[in-house]
Amino acid sequence: MQLFIDQVLNGVNIGVIYASVALALVLIYRTTGLLNFAQGELALFSTFITWWFAVEQDVPIWGALLISFVLSFIGGALIERILIRPVEGAHSPLNVVIVTLGMFLAVNALAQLIFIKPGQEALQMPDLFPSGDLAFGIRKSTVGFAVVLIVECVVLWLLLQKTKLGLALRGVASNPESSRLVGINTGNMLMVGWALAAGIGAIAGSLAATRGSGFDSSLMQQILVYSFAAAALGGFDSPLGAVVGGLVVGIADSLTIQYVDALDGIELVVPFVLILVVLLVRPNGLFGRTIVERV
Amino acid sequence: MHHTRTLRAAPLLLAFCLLAASCGGGRDEGGSSGGGNNNNGGSNSEGDGGEDGGIDTSNCPDTDTAGIEGDTITLASSFPQSGLTAAFAQISKGYKAYFDKQNAAGGIEVAGKKYKIEVVDKDDEYNASKTVQNINEEVGIEGDKAFAVFNVVGTANNVAIRESLNENCVPNLFAATGSPAWGNPDFPWLVGSTLAPYSLEAVAYANHLKENQPAAKVAMLVQDDDFGKAYEESFKTAIEGTDITVVDVATYPTGANEVASQVTSLAASGADAFFNGSTLLACPNALTEAEDAGWERESTFVSGTCISKTLMGLAGPAAEGVLATTNIKDPQNPAFADDEAMTEYLATLEEFGEADVDPENGIVAYGYTQAALLQHVLEESPELTRSAVLDTMRTIDTEGLGLLIDGVTAKMSADDPFLAENLQLVQYNSGAGHFEDVGEVIDFEGQTADLTDPSLINS
Amino acid sequence: MTDTTMNTEAAIGTPDPSGTTGISWLRVVVGVVLAVVALWLPFNYNPDTNTLFAQVFYLAIAAMGLNLLTGFNGQVSIGHGAFFGVGAFTTAILTVEQGWPIEATIPVAAVLAAVVGVVVGFPALRVKGLYLALITLGLAVLFPRVTGKIVKGPGGVALLQPSRNEVSSYWPDLLEDDQYRYFVCLAIMVLLFWAASNLMRSRAGRAMIAVRDQEVAASTVGVNVAGVKIASFALSAAYAGVAGSLSVMVDRVADATNPLIYFQRSIEFLIAVVIGGAATISGPLLGAAFLVFVRKRFEDTEALAPALLGGSLMVIIYVLPDGLIGGYRRLVARFRRPGPSAPDRSPEPPRPPTPVADQTPA
Repeated sequence: MQLFIDQVLNGVNIGVIYASVALALVLIYRTTGLLNFAQGELALFSTFITWWFAVEQDVPIWGALLISFVLSFIGGALIERILIRPVEGAHSPLNVVIVTLGMFLAVNALAQLIFIKPGQEALQMPDLFPSGDLAFGIRKSTVGFAVVLIVECVVLWLLLQKTKLGLALRGVASNPESSRLVGINTGNMLMVGWALAAGIGAIAGSLAATRGSGFDSSLMQQILVYSFAAAALGGFDSPLGAVVGGLVVGIADSLTIQYVDALDGIELVVPFVLILVVLLVRPNGLFGRTIVERV
Repeated sequence: MHHTRTLRAAPLLLAFCLLAASCGGGRDEGGSSGGGNNNNGGSNSEGDGGEDGGIDTSNCPDTDTAGIEGDTITLASSFPQSGLTAAFAQISKGYKAYFDKQNAAGGIEVAGKKYKIEVVDKDDEYNASKTVQNINEEVGIEGDKAFAVFNVVGTANNVAIRESLNENCVPNLFAATGSPAWGNPDFPWLVGSTLAPYSLEAVAYANHLKENQPAAKVAMLVQDDDFGKAYEESFKTAIEGTDITVVDVATYPTGANEVASQVTSLAASGADAFFNGSTLLACPNALTEAEDAGWERESTFVSGTCISKTLMGLAGPAAEGVLATTNIKDPQNPAFADDEAMTEYLATLEEFGEADVDPENGIVAYGYTQAALLQHVLEESPELTRSAVLDTMRTIDTEGLGLLIDGVTAKMSADDPFLAENLQLVQYNSGAGHFEDVGEVIDFEGQTADLTDPSLINS
Repeated sequence: MTDTTMNTEAAIGTPDPSGTTGISWLRVVVGVVLAVVALWLPFNYNPDTNTLFAQVFYLAIAAMGLNLLTGFNGQVSIGHGAFFGVGAFTTAILTVEQGWPIEATIPVAAVLAAVVGVVVGFPALRVKGLYLALITLGLAVLFPRVTGKIVKGPGGVALLQPSRNEVSSYWPDLLEDDQYRYFVCLAIMVLLFWAASNLMRSRAGRAMIAVRDQEVAASTVGVNVAGVKIASFALSAAYAGVAGSLSVMVDRVADATNPLIYFQRSIEFLIAVVIGGAATISGPLLGAAFLVFVRKRFEDTEALAPALLGGSLMVIIYVLPDGLIGGYRRLVARFRRPGPSAPDRSPEPPRPPTPVADQTPA
């Protein structure tokens, strides 16, 4: 039984990371209707920035995280302005996809070139939370990750539901045309969406990098696929869905590793089968809203 | 309208022209000898290899001296230079510094004439199919360009090129992994490096347990591929007839870093010995995870692929006391500070190495050592032909070259297709940040075939 | 992405009023020149370059497959790398383990890939746009892992290679190996492009486009939406399967040792389609040529290569938002518009960019 609980806790530990990245994906999707392939790599770049301040510049880790969050927020806005704006509303949404794919390729390579010395396999991120157990085999880091995630969710919820900015953001997401007509600057809203997502990505990436002994430039590639799965499971436009999806995917993976020997090495099958099943039953995910199709 | 439709076809033309222009060069420029010589056996080289137990060249194309122009021998290589495994590129920094030093001194003498060594290499990002393309280009589809292939990194990558190199009779020397498959007699043109076969690492640990932990309950973490299988099967064979048992084996997907759940599972198995057969980042992750899980155990063994400065440094205190095997002197170990070979290595790297190369990095030392062995093989070769060099390689018998640990032999023979089989057991001192020797060099010379499952060798 | 409205190629699906009446001399000239160039190329270049051309051809076939699905039928797939892989491993297994002649495996590869395509096509009936992209992404990521479990090639690795004799020329006196493979790929590509072009002019092709543009409307006028979607998936997968099969002939390797390799393939196909010009016939070939050419150019920059490739992708999309073909058309239109000599019917001007409405759930 303790083993089962331990594995569930392992699942929660990584699931929280999946959930954070999924949250960023959901934010971009809600504001722009776009699947951002570069989300993970942007988060990786932010993670390197956190690392650079924390390790190379000796800034305390929480300070480094804050700096990285702010820089990523600004960076996200700039990326939207400079790189994404020219293809928004272009001939085909595929163009935006190609731009994010281009970023996916480029950002990873650049991050490696800038931050990793030749011959270095990986970097070490200082711990954000003390190591060791809190109680009942629950790690302090797991609790810490969960608190960060809850704070993120609450802040986002307040922002989206209780502020004028949030109203505008939601307006742009659900009906860009009408929003424009009532005087919302949709361009700025898209920019805010990208900025927020990049900021959340910075936190998610930095948290992920503190897990295990070190991180390398594949950090987010390994996470992103699971986070896509988490976001899809949750319905892609629901922050709550992203969180639930992340936890479900993390726990399912962990339990599969422990109990299903037949799937050794291909545990990744599980989240995708889960998505497929959920989508066949509920085409818009667990928490997604129904799409009304107009002719 | 006609015009429009016609013009619609023009982009096709444009595409052709673009490619044609970009690729430049006429058909013969590439140096292809042309002539569909798929199987034109008859024209053997004069090399005396064919007789007295040497390599059989009766099916080889007539390219035994390809890749030698004037006083330059061209070698071909392919290894990851970008992407996740780009750290492997450091191997080349070691051997390039070595060759540069030899070249600056006039070259390496082969059969009475001095030759300079040039290595052409391409990035394969660790993709085996890309390795195939790279080697095809560097060696030529007919095998008429580079003289030999040197130090291709990766098991799958070497497996991917071994057949065509075999057909073209191009030596593929110092394949940079410890796969036991390098002993496969069907591929005589492929020779492994000083990385001892993975199976021997497992046997070395089993032997250590027999003496120090005779009733050990072992939990293994292995990669879900041939690399992991070599560890698992060899270890299980080695403990047959003892009181040592394997209580749990967990696998993780090739290339993954995330092994927390696997280690949790192993820690719960009640094992008191941990065989950590993982590699790259998964390896230190497994060690820290075992520490975090509070896994009480008497000994831990890590793969020889994990003993780099960075990876062990990441594990830090969690790596205290872990065992591993090696046969190359660790540049970080102060015990070698006054060692003659080490001093020469550091001086060479200082003078000829690139500015950003860290000489303390073990794989730079590894690359340097392979270069020293290649020099030895070339110098011993009776003539500069592919078959003669291969025959010399396959009858090598030396020690003390490069940074090989004293007592480690580089020895091959007709019945022994493995280059380096002696291993030094080492233990990590996390406080000092380097490995220290444990006991004497373990002599496995000529025993790999007996200690390894034949299916691993003949695959 | 639910209502993916692509830049429609007007000529496709609409009968050409004047073009069918006769064959203009200019068309013949361009056709002949093209054919001559294509026939001459492999005799002028060295084997390495011919291999590069052959890679362009098979990549173009796969991109055309994806174009049929994404460009013409509006279903986004990031899983075509997996269909490509099915084709590659079918051919490799039949050739290496069963001793088939490699050419004979191509139809089998096409059929098997199509079967997998149908299997994936069924969920695609319910799962759309973004979700479909994700499910297919999962397919591409899972394929090498699952294959690695099943296929144990030499050395215990998931990598199969036909021997040199198995991919050599049938007429060694006439064509060398590289030239032979060039022509096989070229011939199959021409055949499949011709088929795609004809298909898109047919009733079935118009149904595919109708499903893309107005799914609900299409069903009300009697188009079997489900059938069209699944058939599109199957056909598209078959193209990718053929491409995978040819890749084994050209590169002499079917490789599942790298977990991301077929995801990368998927991305390549998508790039080739969009860079060339989605929903056009010659676009995929141009896109494939661009990709192979650019990659080759950046090869020596090692670690910088992905950054340069990514950067050039973005630049192309900014400069030519409707792909190379779209850009070319606009260029032609600009030259022709002031010309008084075409009063009868000006070439279809590029359609005004359709606003991407209703992308977000409403």
